[in-house]
Amino acid sequence: MKILNKIKNYITHDEVNVAALEDNVVVNVEHVTMEFKITKDKIDTLKEYVIRTIKRNKKEKEKVRVLDDITFKVYKGDKLGILGFNGAGKSTLLKVLAGIYEPTSGNIEIKGKVAPLLELGAGFDKNYTGRNNIYLNGAFLSMEKDFLNEKFNEIVEFSELGEYIEYPVKNYSSGMRAKLGFSIATLVEPDILIVDEILSVGDIKFRKKSSEKINEMMSEGVTVLLVSHSIGQIRRICDKCIWIDNGKLVMQGDVDEVCDAYVANAEGEK
Amino acid sequence: MFDTISEKKFLLRQLVKRDLTSKYKDSVLGILWSFFNPLLIMLVFTAIFSMLFGKNIENFPVYFLSGRIIYDFYNSATKGAMRSMKRNASLLKKIYVPKYMFTISAVCYEFVNFLISFIILFGVMLITGAQFHLTSIFAVIPILLLVILIFGAGLILAVCNTYFSDVGYLYDVFALILMYASALFYPIEIVPAKVQMIFTLNPLYSAITCFRECVVYGVLPNMSTLLYLAAFAFTLFGVGVLLFSIYEKKLALEL
Repeated sequence: MKILNKIKNYITHDEVNVAALEDNVVVNVEHVTMEFKITKDKIDTLKEYVIRTIKRNKKEKEKVRVLDDITFKVYKGDKLGILGFNGAGKSTLLKVLAGIYEPTSGNIEIKGKVAPLLELGAGFDKNYTGRNNIYLNGAFLSMEKDFLNEKFNEIVEFSELGEYIEYPVKNYSSGMRAKLGFSIATLVEPDILIVDEILSVGDIKFRKKSSEKINEMMSEGVTVLLVSHSIGQIRRICDKCIWIDNGKLVMQGDVDEVCDAYVANAEGEK
Repeated sequence: MFDTISEKKFLLRQLVKRDLTSKYKDSVLGILWSFFNPLLIMLVFTAIFSMLFGKNIENFPVYFLSGRIIYDFYNSATKGAMRSMKRNASLLKKIYVPKYMFTISAVCYEFVNFLISFIILFGVMLITGAQFHLTSIFAVIPILLLVILIFGAGLILAVCNTYFSDVGYLYDVFALILMYASALFYPIEIVPAKVQMIFTLNPLYSAITCFRECVVYGVLPNMSTLLYLAAFAFTLFGVGVLLFSIYEKKLALEL
């Protein structure tokens, strides 16, 4: 049965691809469902696995459905805001889009170069100097050596680290780390930008600079997927919006329409 | 993301470099430990076992070291590969990187250490007045097969260890058994003929035998031993790649 489904998926997959080409769709999310096993009754040792198999007690795993049958499309150049309360599944959705998690079921089609600005400076080695970390982090973001050599001065200048670039990252303040991470991650010229609440790192000066940089990236016709709790920000930047609650897609459409409904709902619950 | 080979190559180089620098960062002697560690172990083993088996083995230090560096490479590389997923768990949950890159880099890192240990073998051969043979060049073949074997075993272990955290402990014991079944520090002749069969089934023993034949004894490696090693290595590699490609996308959920 499962195999049949897979084959079916493959076939429909191709059709979706063709449709996407025609419609200028760059992100196509179809019936995506994501389930996590709860950690507390997860079988994670061989010993337990054997014991439970013998006892026929393998009926395990309460599952939590974090995303439930999400379907939406993003067209080229769209700026899509993603709204939802804490724990609604927004960040999981972005992780699925960035390829970190494989959805339990459903399809995702993405066309073009994606720049996920999700975790800045993930993968910094704390014993490495800032300089070495630029190369290491760049490698994690699939940049190449020549590219990094060429952009090195630009990164150092933008991060405002100056001579500290030769110091180990473990001696950096969290602000300095965030600034360096931001400067590396925003180097790419992506087709699709995935942003999770990072428009504000560092001090007030750097904040201004970083949001200018993001605005600049967004204005060049890139497609943007933005998660934010700031309604104002979403209204300003985005033109379309989706609202997720408890893993379900509640509403999608024009940004003002969805934002109004979302705010009304939040106030109604008080 | 990571569509081209050169992006992956650069990432691999960065990962190996990270491991190498972090290994020695706080020790005074730094990279010298890579030399001292096997050298000291060899001295201990030579002191103890040359008394027991010294008469049966010509040039015990070279006999021991030639087996030991092969075993060490296998042991630490498979264990490094096994732990590569859990060690980088926080990263794998945050950004998208092809997961096998970490397994490959763990093996490559141990390969660098393995190359360093060659210098010691060379030095010990020089000091003990061992003969150098032209057939040493052919040692490349068993080493290459060993690397393929290690990749296969490492990929399988990486998946298993992610799902079941006690696989690591079991494997430690298994690796110890493997060591005793590799005739590192005694001649195979002292083992009863029936048990010798088991030794010949151990692919690691095959690798060590071929390596010794090339480097220590100056003969070409035994063809059937080499073929057995090759068959074993490629089968394990195939299974490893298959298993890993099935589970790769689910691994992030288990970390």
